[in-house]
Amino acid sequence: MSNIKLEIINLRKEYGDLVAVDDLSLSVEQGETMALLGPSGCGKSTTLNMIVGLEQPTSGDILIDGKSVINTPSGKRNVGLVFQDYAVFTNMTVEKNLAYGLRVRKEPKDKIASEVLRVADFMGLSDKIDRKPSELSASELQRVAIGRTLVTNPDILLLDEPLSNLEADDRNRMRRELRSIQAETGQTVIYVTHDQIEALSLAHRIAVMNFGHLMQYDTAENVYQHPQNKFVGSFLGNPPMNFVKGVLRKEGDRIFIQNGDSSLPVPTDIGSKIENNSGLIAGFRPETLTVTSNEEDFSFSAEVLAVEPQGPESVVTAKFGDTQVKVVVPSESESATDGNKLNLMPNFDLLALFDPDSGVRLMKHGG
Amino acid sequence: MVTDPLLEIRSISKAFGNLQALDSIDLKVDKGSLIVLLGPAGAGKTTLLRCIAGLENPDAGDVLINGDEVTKWQPNQRDIAMIFDNLALYPNKNGYENIASPLRIAKAPKDQIKSKVDEVAGLLKIEHILDRLPGTFSGGEKQRVALGRAMVREPHFYLLDEPLSSLDFMLRIDLRTELKRLQKELGRTFIFATPDYTEALALADQVVVLMDGKVAQMAPAQELYDKPASKEVARFVGNPAMNVVAAQISGESGDPKLIIGGSSIDLTDSDKTKVPSTKDVEIGLRPTAITLLEGDDSVAAGYAKVSGVVNDLEPLGMHTTVGIEVGGESLVFTVEGVRDYQDGTPISVAIDTSALHYFDPTSGSRL
Repeated sequence: MSNIKLEIINLRKEYGDLVAVDDLSLSVEQGETMALLGPSGCGKSTTLNMIVGLEQPTSGDILIDGKSVINTPSGKRNVGLVFQDYAVFTNMTVEKNLAYGLRVRKEPKDKIASEVLRVADFMGLSDKIDRKPSELSASELQRVAIGRTLVTNPDILLLDEPLSNLEADDRNRMRRELRSIQAETGQTVIYVTHDQIEALSLAHRIAVMNFGHLMQYDTAENVYQHPQNKFVGSFLGNPPMNFVKGVLRKEGDRIFIQNGDSSLPVPTDIGSKIENNSGLIAGFRPETLTVTSNEEDFSFSAEVLAVEPQGPESVVTAKFGDTQVKVVVPSESESATDGNKLNLMPNFDLLALFDPDSGVRLMKHGG
Repeated sequence: MVTDPLLEIRSISKAFGNLQALDSIDLKVDKGSLIVLLGPAGAGKTTLLRCIAGLENPDAGDVLINGDEVTKWQPNQRDIAMIFDNLALYPNKNGYENIASPLRIAKAPKDQIKSKVDEVAGLLKIEHILDRLPGTFSGGEKQRVALGRAMVREPHFYLLDEPLSSLDFMLRIDLRTELKRLQKELGRTFIFATPDYTEALALADQVVVLMDGKVAQMAPAQELYDKPASKEVARFVGNPAMNVVAAQISGESGDPKLIIGGSSIDLTDSDKTKVPSTKDVEIGLRPTAITLLEGDDSVAAGYAKVSGVVNDLEPLGMHTTVGIEVGGESLVFTVEGVRDYQDGTPISVAIDTSALHYFDPTSGSRL
């Protein structure tokens, strides 16, 4: 038996010549949190609006519990949407705000009262129930907005950049709270964000979008460690993934990627599967490089251009061939000084090779 | 002979109604340095920049440039360049003319304008967009052109108010590295305001932490991280934030005992010399100073074993943030890879006791 809550099939949305969402297909399971992650203009909010019913798709279908909702008006879809600008009624108390959705549905009074208390309790608003929104902090307002939606028991809770207006400290706290709310309620959640930390932290699966296309849809771990294209590698990580464009050369039993006058050795098991003289892009994350004291079999050398302290570690920008790579090193590392040559050893399990034209990953992980 | 600092701020205060935006700020900036004003929203960063620029009149205190008192001078008499987040390029002028505009206003000769614009465009790597209009620029290109426009002149110094905050995260990281390189290469003086501690640490020769209109600390990047002056600064600089928990000190002065959440922490002789003589303290412990003990890991010298239960878990791609509850106190730390602990799972951690910070529980100051 399938427990798919939401299914999106070949969804497309055009605005004149602009294709905002292009052939998007994915499904979300009951109780799952799915993050739509991407830069501004990638189509994530348009997708959200089509699920809610605020936008009509150009083509494709949206199924909730197996039934198409394309022709169901927004108000009749049992979905709850929360924006970043916590839309709460400023003239109503927290209690009235929380009760609003149930009053509109003309639920019995005692049910409203008990539901409001229940939601207020796990949103941490029990002692604020008589307050007006003007007396609340930004994170409390957002909790009211989310609680007001949860009270109506929606099939899907949709959150559109809900933490964007909060300060760093509140954002960290709210991430924690959202995770525990989701775990307690088993609510299916779709979470739209441009912030990779929020997506990695909250979502069971992440759909990374760019220019209306779905670039990868997988668990947080796989999206981060095994990006299926260059875009996903560059969009996640801090600093983002390094890319070295070059040509694969085989000389005797040495296999390496040539970039300018520099070469990046690659192990035989990876290199042997690729034709000699193929153009490709190697991608490796800054934190997967290790500084070694001596030249080793698969290390490469790069000249330090800049060192940026970050507290426990420093981000080093180094020149490799005609490109630059970033490396994360412990802050006490003495070799990280301008002009010094670093020997760097990549973690080859996490090295990704991409097609230089399409940016698509050449070999899947493990294959 | 003693040379005057390029910029000196003496006891500047500024209030807006009941809000004391700046409270007796002192600051000296040497020529060729990069000073970062770091603080949360509302700390007074922008107000201070505006007082320096002459856009705001301080209620008290003086601004000196090269030893001249300029507090009453008009903004245009001070010869300062300001760069904001919302940069205003001339939409009807191409990249070249936007960059050239300050020189045209100053009626510089044509050949000088050309050589200056070409030099700056080369440094900023924007030669290819000089003949295009701003409407076609990406966010990063706009920001570079705005920087170029500020760079063609040689004002006393540059005030940069969150110049990177509206850029995509990837660009922000690249551009901050370039900004620092440019500043050093040209020997210009930057005063850069940001709420982002990673940006501050990466860029600054000196970081000035502003909180509630006061200078909370002034220090080079690594010192700020290693020796925060108060728990507020400590928690603002670092992610996940420093753990700050109540602790008790007992025992004799030569042989103090440290108790956290009812557990006694073993200290080395060298650690003991750093223990303050107060009975109740708050201790600060960076998440990086806590390591998970797995299987039958033994505790290395200089580390103290602490046991508790998991009370928080946040997966973040390559690593997981874990919370451990120890006798009512919570500590957060990071482990490599993906973990899946249920709340309440018993775990043990090793604490690097040489990395303990001590704070006064009332004032929050470092002890």
